[in-house]
Amino acid sequence: MSIKKYFGPLSKDNPILVQILGVCSALAVTAQLKPAFVMALSVTVVTGFSSLIISLIRKMIPSRIRIVIQLVVIATMVILVDQILQAFFYDMSKMLSVFVGLIITNCIVMGRLEAFAMGNPPIPSFLDGIFNGFGYGLVLIIVGVIREIFGSGTLWNMQVIPTSFYEAGYMNNGLMMLPPMALLLVGIMIWIQRS
Amino acid sequence: MKFSNTYIFVFTTIVVLICATILTLASVGLQPFQRANRQKERMTQILTASGYKSVEDPIQFYNTVAEESEVEVLINGKKEQRQVIKVKLRDNSYCYVFSLKGKGLWGPIWGYIAIREDGNTVQGAVFDHKSETPGLGDEINTERFYSQFEGKQLFDQLGVFQSIKVVKGGVANSNVNPNHGVDAISGGTITSQGLETMIAKELEPYIPLLIQINKKERSLTEK
Repeated sequence: MSIKKYFGPLSKDNPILVQILGVCSALAVTAQLKPAFVMALSVTVVTGFSSLIISLIRKMIPSRIRIVIQLVVIATMVILVDQILQAFFYDMSKMLSVFVGLIITNCIVMGRLEAFAMGNPPIPSFLDGIFNGFGYGLVLIIVGVIREIFGSGTLWNMQVIPTSFYEAGYMNNGLMMLPPMALLLVGIMIWIQRS
Repeated sequence: MKFSNTYIFVFTTIVVLICATILTLASVGLQPFQRANRQKERMTQILTASGYKSVEDPIQFYNTVAEESEVEVLINGKKEQRQVIKVKLRDNSYCYVFSLKGKGLWGPIWGYIAIREDGNTVQGAVFDHKSETPGLGDEINTERFYSQFEGKQLFDQLGVFQSIKVVKGGVANSNVNPNHGVDAISGGTITSQGLETMIAKELEPYIPLLIQINKKERSLTEK
């Protein structure tokens, strides 16, 4: 078993670009890089650990109620992440607002539990979850970088477009700050990736 | 694999109980940190309203300049205790910070407004919201919006309470006296209206107090 097969979600099997999952949050939190990064990290932690837990108890879960059990585990993980963000990264948690809570309904998490963790041992399931989180995060970060540079002229809250540009008449692109632009960017990425 | 109904019930109960226990422990354990964060945010907002922007250590700074006290005000004919924060400004004068609570379009909005010693002039204000529309109503928590309140006046020359109007289409294009009005947010009309109502309604009980402060100030300057 090679580690290579876990790299699928990064490009070939990317949850957002190929499976078109988790687009809602990808549009909402990517106006700046920092929230996009924290969101990516949160989703990675949630997919990784809920895959691990579900995989550990997969033989005990009656198949009739497996979705319910998966949801309970995901919800627990998400609320934990939300509480930790509120305690230690308060500003960030205010910025992400409801979207942390909405990880519960993110199809990527449940999709991986159904498709992989229910039928595979814990360690591969954990890695599968983590790499799917990375795949999701990668898209979020790319969109976040583009939107922040062209929308606010900053990167990670630091000025990157020199003031002289603004004096020469350059203006931030307001559309970049709004969700529709994220949709266009994700669309363009899907196009590039498939051609 | 076949599982009996009893097994399903027992299994579900155990899983849910474990999850509930973990969440309870996390919630109880993290509460002090979360409370401290909210406390710090409140202090930062009060300081911002008073004109102290981006203070490095808000908690310590707040404790040196601010003094919290309770006043008795009449609300709907009933006496109630309300908190007023007296903040010492750079020029050694004081301002009084009142907390505001109101309704926006989608959920609660709130904020702080600081009134100078004359009981009339606004030193500054900050606002925040739970779930106003991004890009429109949610701009009430941007400095561009709330810095408009600096220097506005609550009472007109006759001493009548005018509150601060949030004017749709801009103060310049209306017949509202620029001393009592700020520009509303275009596209955020209902949030802006909610904000105007909030300021008028929440400051109303303090009118006697503000007049009293004003008189004291006048008698001091006359001496």
